[in-house]
Amino acid sequence: METLVRVTDLSRDFGRHSALSNVDLCLERGQVLGLLGPNGAGKTTCLRLLSGLLAPTSGCIEIQGIDLARRPLAAKRHLGYLPERPPLHPELRVDEYLTHCAHLHRLPRRAIPDAVATAKQRCGLEDQGRQLIAKLSRGYRQRLGLAQAILHRPSLLILDEPTEGLDPVQMRELRGLIRELAQDTGIILSSHLLPEVQSVCDRVMILHQGRVRFDAETSAARPTNLWRVRLGEDIDVMHLNALAPVAGAIATGPHQFQVHVRDEASSADLARAILQADLELFELIPERSDLERTFFDLIGAEEQA
Amino acid sequence: MIGTIAAREIRSGLVTPLLWVLLGVGQVVLAWIFLQVVENFSGLDAEQRLASLTQELCLNLFGFAAVLAMLAAPLLAMRMLSAEFREGGYDLLAGAPVRLVEILLGKFIGLAVLITPLCLLPAANLALLTNVTSLDLGQVAAATLGLWLAALFFGAIGLQASSLTDQPGAAVLIAFGVLLLFSIIGRAESLTAQTLSLFGWLSWNEHLFRFLLGAVRLSDLTYFALFTGFFLALTHRRLANRRLQ
Repeated sequence: METLVRVTDLSRDFGRHSALSNVDLCLERGQVLGLLGPNGAGKTTCLRLLSGLLAPTSGCIEIQGIDLARRPLAAKRHLGYLPERPPLHPELRVDEYLTHCAHLHRLPRRAIPDAVATAKQRCGLEDQGRQLIAKLSRGYRQRLGLAQAILHRPSLLILDEPTEGLDPVQMRELRGLIRELAQDTGIILSSHLLPEVQSVCDRVMILHQGRVRFDAETSAARPTNLWRVRLGEDIDVMHLNALAPVAGAIATGPHQFQVHVRDEASSADLARAILQADLELFELIPERSDLERTFFDLIGAEEQA
Repeated sequence: MIGTIAAREIRSGLVTPLLWVLLGVGQVVLAWIFLQVVENFSGLDAEQRLASLTQELCLNLFGFAAVLAMLAAPLLAMRMLSAEFREGGYDLLAGAPVRLVEILLGKFIGLAVLITPLCLLPAANLALLTNVTSLDLGQVAAATLGLWLAALFFGAIGLQASSLTDQPGAAVLIAFGVLLLFSIIGRAESLTAQTLSLFGWLSWNEHLFRFLLGAVRLSDLTYFALFTGFFLALTHRRLANRRLQ
């Protein structure tokens, strides 16, 4: 696979404060990388460094083999960037703004109308072309920000909290769009929402206090077959272990058990088996995923979770 | 690329009310001064007239238009960098494959185009008299050129101030402060020996005065070109440093 971004030993200090330390990163075409972390973890700093808006204190960023520090113009041609606040000009109309962005990204004049129409169509802005940006709602502004980032079909897309301000339907649409875009680009997105990262990213990197604390494929951190069960009466754990869908169970408190369901069984099978055993089922909750556990373990907030 | 950035600035300037308000207010005051000068001049006998009508009008109309440009340039410039830093619009340029010098020149040319109508207002007022009396068109042209160069100089200071902060209000105040300093610095001459003319040379109004009298001198052209270039270079430096901060 083609390597789009290679980051080596990236650090960035703001005065005495170190915002990012020794980050190494590699992204292939077709991959979606999620940067996860609490507020102030260094996600935005990392993305601003990758998009060339900030200069690193040390380290090297290569986009498609081009050093961003030495040849910024050539490197920036391959990237599309959606900052935390979409970089819009409220006094322009949507079409005017996108045309301006196309010029900035040096698209050939003849290709601009098509590029603008495609970007609008992908972001659901077909009917907003004549609309003044100042009159757009928050969600549409976010879409427009995304449209300017994908307008020139960059091979690397950097999205800083892309679902911020979107309603649940728009969020789902955006996730779909990200997966669609990921077919021929590499995407790095930041978020502090675990489910979002889990649902859309192939790989996740957890940042905390400017350092990478976890970097793994999300498939390795998918939810396991662990379920938390609360029953009406206190029974011996052996009763649960005897049920067909249960691979193993342990008592975690009064009336509470952690149950490992067999691979071929589902939560419905477990619920059915519990009821058929004449037990009262009060709660059946999936245990937190590995990723979620790792996240809270790493940031030391386990007790607040 | 410079054209793209300048065109966007011009478009934004034309669709927002600031420029139109400045032009409207400027024209009302200029018309008032114009009336007063013509009224006073026509009331004088031939021997009482110390200067020609063109001279009187140039000194008064263009002199006031320069003060107007001094107020307008920082206001127009604050939107170009300072407000964009604050609202995040600058990230679009910083993330695009565009050189800093292209961004700077694009914005400066945009500012120059937007402030040009303001510099043409006094000449437009004078045009009313072309069929009534004979005017020294050469002097009017020189005064217009001087006013325009002074406005570019104010614009460069405005852009520099705008690049310093993401608070547009603060940017305007910084620009006013610097412009005021450049306006009154000539007076320092009277505090020291009469022969010391450095402070007088630094002051922009001394140079504009020559243009208003109809004299286009290389030294005055150099003054405006030098200081406009100097403040643009400072702005470039500042924009380059933003990546490091």
